[in-house]
Formats: sequence, C-alpha cells, structure tokens
Amino acid sequence: MGGGILIALVAILHVVVSHFAVGGGLVMAVLETAAVKRNDAPLRDLVKRSSMILLLLSTVFGAISGVGIWFTIGVVHPAATSSLIHTFVWAWATEWTFFLLEVVTALAWVATWGKVSPRTHLLLIWLYAFAAFMSLVVIQGILGFMLTPGSYPRTFSFWDGFLNPTYLPGILFRTGVCILLAAAWMAFAALREPDRDARARLSRILGAAGSVGVGLAGVGWVVWERALPDSVQRLFLGEKPLLAALATGRSHTLRMFAVAAVLALLVLVLPRLQSWPVAILALLAGAGILAGYERVREGVRKPFVIAEQMFSNGVLVSEIDRLNEKGILSKAAWATKGPGGRALPLGEAVFRAQCASCHTRDGYLGIKKIASAMDAEFAEMFLTAMRDDGANWKARAEGKDVKPDYAFMPPFVGTDEELKALALWLASLNGSQVAEVTDAH
Amino acid sequence: MPTDALLPALDPMAIPGPPWLFHALWLVTFAIHVVGVNVVLGASILGTMASLDSDRTFGRGVAGFFAEVNTWAISLTITFGIAPLLFLQVLHGRLFYSATVILAPAWLGLLLFLMAAYYLTYGAKYRLRAGKGAAVHLGLSALLFLAVAAIQVVVHLLSVQPGRWEGVLAAPWTALSDRSFVPRFLHFVLAGVTLAGILLAWVSVRRVPDDGARAAASARAAFGLKIALLATLLQLVDGLWLTISVPREVLLGLMRGGAATMLPLTLGIAAGFGLLVFLARVRDPIADRTSVRRSLELFGLAMILMLVTRHQLRDLYIAAAGADASPATTGQWGVLAVFLGSFVLCTFLAIVAVVRSAKDRPGPGDATA
Repeated sequence: MGGGILIALVAILHVVVSHFAVGGGLVMAVLETAAVKRNDAPLRDLVKRSSMILLLLSTVFGAISGVGIWFTIGVVHPAATSSLIHTFVWAWATEWTFFLLEVVTALAWVATWGKVSPRTHLLLIWLYAFAAFMSLVVIQGILGFMLTPGSYPRTFSFWDGFLNPTYLPGILFRTGVCILLAAAWMAFAALREPDRDARARLSRILGAAGSVGVGLAGVGWVVWERALPDSVQRLFLGEKPLLAALATGRSHTLRMFAVAAVLALLVLVLPRLQSWPVAILALLAGAGILAGYERVREGVRKPFVIAEQMFSNGVLVSEIDRLNEKGILSKAAWATKGPGGRALPLGEAVFRAQCASCHTRDGYLGIKKIASAMDAEFAEMFLTAMRDDGANWKARAEGKDVKPDYAFMPPFVGTDEELKALALWLASLNGSQVAEVTDAH
Repeated sequence: MPTDALLPALDPMAIPGPPWLFHALWLVTFAIHVVGVNVVLGASILGTMASLDSDRTFGRGVAGFFAEVNTWAISLTITFGIAPLLFLQVLHGRLFYSATVILAPAWLGLLLFLMAAYYLTYGAKYRLRAGKGAAVHLGLSALLFLAVAAIQVVVHLLSVQPGRWEGVLAAPWTALSDRSFVPRFLHFVLAGVTLAGILLAWVSVRRVPDDGARAAASARAAFGLKIALLATLLQLVDGLWLTISVPREVLLGLMRGGAATMLPLTLGIAAGFGLLVFLARVRDPIADRTSVRRSLELFGLAMILMLVTRHQLRDLYIAAAGADASPATTGQWGVLAVFLGSFVLCTFLAIVAVVRSAKDRPGPGDATA
C-alpha cells in the first residue's frame, strides 16, 4: 500500500466524522433552541438521542483520527509536514484552542442532560457549535493554501496565504456538507421516535436541514470551481479536460449531489417515506460528496503538495538547482537504507527518496508496470528530460507564463550519477537490464 | 555519541518565532498533557485492580469512579497532546519524523490501541453503571494504555539519539534495548499510579462525608493513599535507576549545567520526598484532609520540576548527538497575537462551561434540560 492510500484512508474517515461534528453542533443547537422555546418534547428527545453519537464520534473517533492524520502525514510526507508546520503553526495552534473548547463543551453538554437548566444547556451546545465551526474556519485557510496559495509565494505573508482565493468558497461548501451530514446522521435517531406523527414531523425538519445543507454545498462547489486558476480548471473542466479521471470523479460527485438533493427534498415533502434505506442512502450520498470534493482537491494539486512551492515528494522548487548539484540523497540520507537496515542500490535509494511518496514498486501506481516498456537508455533519456523540466517549474513559480512539459509529475532532481542509477534500476525491474548493485553509500 | 549519517538536513524554512517561545509553550502545554496522561494511565491500572477486589461493592465503586474520570480524561489528554506535538515538530521535526518513520508500524498502531482503549473505557463505564463487572474491559484498556506509553517513550528516546537509528532500522526490536527505556517508562507509570491514588483520596474526602458515607469514603481514600505511598517509594528507587541509566555525556551535561539544571532536579527530588512524608503521615484521611490536599499539590510541583529536567535532558541528548543546529527564524507576530487571543478566549469560555455545568442545579419543580 502506498503512503498516499494510507493518508487517504485516515483522512477520509476523519473528514467525514469531523464535518459531522461541526454540522451536528450547528443543527443540534438550532433544534434544541427550538425545542426549548416550543416546549417540544419529541424534538428535544431527538437531540438527546443524537448527542451521545456526537460525543463518541467527535471527541473519541474525531480526536484520535485527527491526531492520526498528523502521525500519518509525518511518516509519509515528513518534509511537506515540516514546511506546513513552519508556515502555519500558529494557525494550527489557534485551531487547537477552539478544539479544546469543543471537547470540553461536548463532554459537559452530554453529561448535563436532565441536570442543569435549559438555559445552561443551550449555552453549552451553542458554545460547542461556535468552537466547532471556528475550527473549520481556521483549518480551511490551510487546506485552501495548499491548493491556491494566492500571492504567498511572492510576499511570504501569512495572511496572503491564509486568506487565499478558495478560502471563502471552501468554507461555504464545507458548511453545507456539515449540515447535510448532520441531518443525515440524525435521521437515524428520528426513525427511533415511537410516535408516527412525531416521527414524520422530525423527518420533515431534518429534510429541511438537509436541503439547506445540499444547497449551500452546491453553491459553494460552483463558487469554489470558479475561484480556481484557469490552469487548474483546465485539468478537470471543459470539453477536453487534461485529467480525465478527475473529470469523471467530478461527474460522480455531481451525481451524488443530485441524489442527496432529491432525497432531502423527498423527505421534506413526503416525510412518511423516510426509512432506514433512504437514510442510509442519504448518508452515503453526503459522504460521497465530501469524498469526491477531497479527491478533486487533492488531484488538481498535482504535482504539488503545496502549490508552486513544494512538490509531492517533498522537494522545494527553490532547491531544484542545489539538489541537481549535490544530489537528492544529500537531502534524504534515510532512503539509502531498506528494510532490515540493508544498504540499497543507488537507483533504488533515489526511487525511495524521490518517487516513493506516490509510487509503489508493484502495487498502487506501481513503477514496475509504468516502466515496463523502458530500457535503460530510454529511461535515462526520459529522466533527463524530466530534470530539464525543473527550469520550467522554477520559471512558472517566478510568475512567468511557462508550461512545464510534464505537468503532473515533479521534475527529476539529482546528479548525473543518481539519474543513471535510477534509469538502470527502473530497467532492471522488468529484467531488461542486469540489476545495478552499486551501494547507495 | 556520533551523529548518524541518516540525520536529515535541517528544514530550510524559517520557524515563525523565537525558539525560546516554542520551548516555553511546549513545556506549558506538555505539562497539562502529562497531567492527563498520568490520570489516564493510573486510573486504568487502579480501576483494574479495584475491579478485581474481593469486596465487590467497594471494588466496583472505585472502578466506576476511575471509568467515569477516564472518559473525560482521555478526551482532554488527547486534545492537550496536540499542542506540544505541534511545538515539538517546529523545533525538532527532523528528529521526530525520522524516529516515527523508523518505528512506523508501532507509531501508527498506537492510534488503534488508543481508540480501542477509549471505547473499552466507555464500555466499562456503562457496564459498571448497570451493576455489572468490568475487569476485562478495564484490564484490556490498561494494557493498551501501557503499550501506548511504552511506544511514546521508545520513540522519544530514539528521536534524540540519531546514532541508534541505523541499528534500530536493521533490527526494530532493539529500540527497546535502550538502557534508560525501562526506568523511564516506569517513571511515567508510577507517576500515573501515584496521581490516580491521591486523586481518589482527595475526591473522597474533599468534603466531610455524611455519616452514612463516611466509612466508604475513608476506605476509598485509604486505598488511594496506600497505593500512592507505595508507588512514590518505588519512584524514588526508579528515579535513581533512571539517573544512572542516562548516557554519561548527557548526565555530565546535566551536572555541569549549574543552577539552571541542578535546581529543578534537586527541588523535584525534594518535592518527591516531601510527598512521601505527607502520604505517610495521613492516618485518618477525613480528619487530615489538609495533608491529602498537600499531597496533591506536592505531586503537581514535583511533576512540573521533573518535566523541566526532562526537557533539559532532551536538549542535552540532542546536543550530544550533534543535532542541535539552530533553525532560521522569522516573525509572525500578528498570527501569534490571534493564537494568544483565541487561547485566552477559549480557556475562559471552557471554564465558564465547566463552572456553569457544575453549579447550575435547578430546584424542585424547575425545568431541566
């Protein structure tokens, strides 16, 4: 399994749960307030039934999987993680303060059902909703920066990076998904309401919330797409998108939007049709919209992990020349050792340092299959062309209108010796050349 | 201690503030995190012990207390762990990432252990509330938390000794062969048991119990204090073991550091002895509630001082390995002000939430949420 898949597994689980945690706060705060004002017992019971799930998912699973993302990206992309930390540590620390408030208020809110006055209980859930939403407001600045850093590469101003072109559209989209997911989760609690009329009424309320959510998310998606630079839009939009797989992913996501919208409106208009299969389908559609968005967002960022600054293999645009002179292994000495501490052949070490953050040898994006048609000479020619492409990436980062030849791959960086060793190693994978055995040291 | 060839280059990007600021924030947030770590570790161990007690009423009562405490403490401990993790990465990212990459299976497995232990604690809490036993749930969660603590200690020790990386890469289990691993691990576990014991005693007697509850409260407090006393005695022995297990150049650095290093260490040891005296002299916990409270305060003092020493030891390890190059710095003062402002605001609101939750009790006939 490649590192990218590992991150995706942890991240997808975390983003779905964390968006529910934010949306749950907003929806439950509104519904509990309405229940108190109208003395509406079924509505209050719906919120109470949903509250334990919110606690277990947000403070347990959400908290641990959030830390899990840190652990995972630190293991898979240490250089990129370090760069992001150096740029945004205060933003993350700010998000942490809101998360702290979120956890304390969630625990207090769930523990005080039936113990404190309604006024205090409402204060707790509104504080939770505020803290959870603010954590989204902060983290979106960093997520948006990674795709659209705005004028940061020129000014190096934190605020230029944080308040980037996709910041507000991203918040709008995510807020909608949060509400949609919360309404979808709470539908299961509504189905446990014993009174038939009350169950229908609760389902209608959640259908309305879901409709609002899917509407906000839809508007957010459209505005987000328009906020992307033309060069990024061309990757997955238009009649001839450059990345067909991403364009297909976008189409699937739009279908998910349609399913979620139809189901939310169906439950709003005909609440008695709400049932477990409908609720499950709505939840899957909501999660699918979010997963599709994250997939497109990650995909269009290629080959960068931080747009125009750091490639997905951790190489900075600013260090291309230095690494061509001193070698990629001058930055990644760790790559010279394989499992069991054995010294690796130079070519394999270069592969680990430069390619392994995206490619595996035989599995996901397996390099053996990709290089199956290459002999050593062809591989060397190809890698040389990729190394020359580094000049184009540098020019583009300086704001010049230059298109790199290999738009979705980082340039090769390294010395002639490293380049030849990698070429030989790639060719050796399919037996077309005798394996190169030079010790990486 | 030679610098290993696997040591990555220093991140060329500047850190957004002076190193002393990150050290200070790291230490403060880590201290809060460690309080939680101690509670979680100690509560899971003592909860397991209590749930095996032959006196079922007493045992389940104590186990229930610790299970209730832990469902809160685990959340807060994880949450408070995020901040020191951030500041650690700012200052020592290349060391930390390398150690976690070398021990990746254990490091990532830690998350699964943590999640399983957390849900087991919730399971124990609801079983105990329903009058059922929970020894298996609590025992498993204690084992998992101990494993989490052991992984953290191993990763920490490996991260500050780049000279060991190549060897551990070749044979991962040798990560456990560090001479100071066992005493350092025990240092955490014994501190956890001590804190949990004193916490149980303090909660049991902080208010004079009714006559009907007096015997039970006294028994709980006595149990907690007895365990804390024993753990503190063992801690003193373990502290000596830990001291002599530290590499010579690191220990020499500590000794030659003057008042800056020797004062926290000496005062920390003195606080440990003071704790021992207070714990030993409590005969009737209800009558001598002041000593129980003093024990808690002394524990806090000893813990903070030992954390300062731990922090200094880390720097000495890193300096001995020649991996203490200073990063470039820059300023992000506006964002720092936003962080400090949000920290004050959120802390204030969290205190308001807790106080209102604890004090707001509607009278008979008044509406409740």
